[in-house]
Amino acid sequence: MTGQERVDRMFHRREQDRVPRHESFWAETIERWQKEGLSGDTRAVLDMLETDFHQLCWMWPAAFPGEEEIVSQDEETKVVRDAQGKLVRYWKDKSGTPEHLGFECDSRQKWEKVFKPALLDSGLQVDPEATKRNLAIGRKRGRWCFMAGVESFEETRSLMGDEITMIAMAEDPEWVRDVSKTFTDVMLRNLDACMGMGIAPDGLWIYGDMAFNHATMCSPKMYRELIWPDHKRLADWAHVHNMRFIFHTDGDVNGVMDLYVQAGFDCLQPLEAKAGMDIRRLCPKFGKDLAFFGNIDVMVMVSNDRGRIEQEIRSKFEAGKATRGYIYHSDHSVPPQVSWETYRFIVDCVKRYGRYS
Amino acid sequence: MVNLQNLADAIKVGNRAEATKLTRQAIDEKVGAKEILEAMVGAMDEIGKKFQRNEVFVPEMLIASRAMKESMAVLEPLLVKAGIKPAFTAVIGTVAGDLHDIGKNLVAMMWKGANFGVVDLGTNVSPEKFLAAAKEHKARVVGLSALLTTTMPAMKQTVAALRAANLAGLKVVIGGAPITQEFATEIGADAFAPDAASAVEMVRKLMVA
Repeated sequence: MTGQERVDRMFHRREQDRVPRHESFWAETIERWQKEGLSGDTRAVLDMLETDFHQLCWMWPAAFPGEEEIVSQDEETKVVRDAQGKLVRYWKDKSGTPEHLGFECDSRQKWEKVFKPALLDSGLQVDPEATKRNLAIGRKRGRWCFMAGVESFEETRSLMGDEITMIAMAEDPEWVRDVSKTFTDVMLRNLDACMGMGIAPDGLWIYGDMAFNHATMCSPKMYRELIWPDHKRLADWAHVHNMRFIFHTDGDVNGVMDLYVQAGFDCLQPLEAKAGMDIRRLCPKFGKDLAFFGNIDVMVMVSNDRGRIEQEIRSKFEAGKATRGYIYHSDHSVPPQVSWETYRFIVDCVKRYGRYS
Repeated sequence: MVNLQNLADAIKVGNRAEATKLTRQAIDEKVGAKEILEAMVGAMDEIGKKFQRNEVFVPEMLIASRAMKESMAVLEPLLVKAGIKPAFTAVIGTVAGDLHDIGKNLVAMMWKGANFGVVDLGTNVSPEKFLAAAKEHKARVVGLSALLTTTMPAMKQTVAALRAANLAGLKVVIGGAPITQEFATEIGADAFAPDAASAVEMVRKLMVA
């Protein structure tokens, strides 16, 4: 059974030989593992895991693509004016989310006069030719091939910052609605350009963190009114093109699960355990409508305790396999506190408990 | 005559124009600074509790905090004149190696709303900087935030540095997505706050204890 067939069967809740698999890692994790005996890089680990997934492209439309500039730097960090026109501080030698220092798009007037026209005028921000080439590679490997990008809530926060975005959600919802709709229009334009190459990927995997450790950032009602219509548009677009729709969000999204089902999402990833997401509870309730992708707690992984890790994988695989709608992934990205020896043990457990026979 | 309940309600719904207008009216009508302040702090306490229960979310908390902040600015001269100061100062920051600030900002906002004196050191703060600020501001509380599992060791180092300095009565509160009570106990922090509103309650309890 190829990865493409396996994941496709998973989405149809049909018989599979084993649970499909994929994983994400911090860059520092791979560096640690290389010192502990890993030969190769991220790709070598994914090959060892026997991943079933293959990414074709990445889309994060910006208002000023190609206009990034370094404003200042010190030994550890650099301050960059990025393609959204905002100032961000990045680590030079470490991965992780950057610090946001200032947002140029801080009023509705600036959005309407500067940023919206720039975004609409920004042209293609994906390489359709490369996407097509990557699809050929993915097909050769027999993997489930997906296009990937960012949804409008993440985009809006990236453009305007959390504080301006969330105050606007409360005080000027029409502005946020317009930003969300415009970003989604641009995103769909990029996706259409890829499809114009005559390709037929298997899925669309969209990223956008909607929540933190005990709730969604905004209320379900606000999400339904301001952002959800564009999430639904993306899911609808995928379905029109005979693709599945995977949605990535960190945090506790228990309060909006029904809205995800209504929007037609096919799969939710990565299901952050420390934020209260637990497929042992979610599978019986939503497993018919939604596939679940992840949920293996990185906080358990970092304990490097084989007993706890095995129990985590065994119990969650049991819940996931009961619906046939489950894919292995950590509940975030594997952090560098996990030793190479531990991760090889994790892969062994995934292979052992992932069999359907 | 001004009704302080209306002021509290204006803050709760984030109506800053109404909140500042009612604050001015209360001052003009010679209502005591302490009484006005208590109405404001009570409003933010209620918002915090609703946030804990997922009855309000970040947007509502932000507009309430802003209404509180602007009303406090109106009240500030009267508080100074009456000699009313925050009972203590809290230093807050995200630990070394971590550039995340959303959680830390929400806690700082709630602490200010509870009328704690707050010194926000920002992100990527070294143990030495936390210690220096705690000494400089004679802080009673230090709040440490971390979003990444990779920066939890920096939290441990910061707690160790603060403990080694043996600052009298200093309490350390920690929080962030990967943080648990178990971890707080392990590294010797005084309290773990699972969310911004709990961080207010934790500090109040610690200050009474």
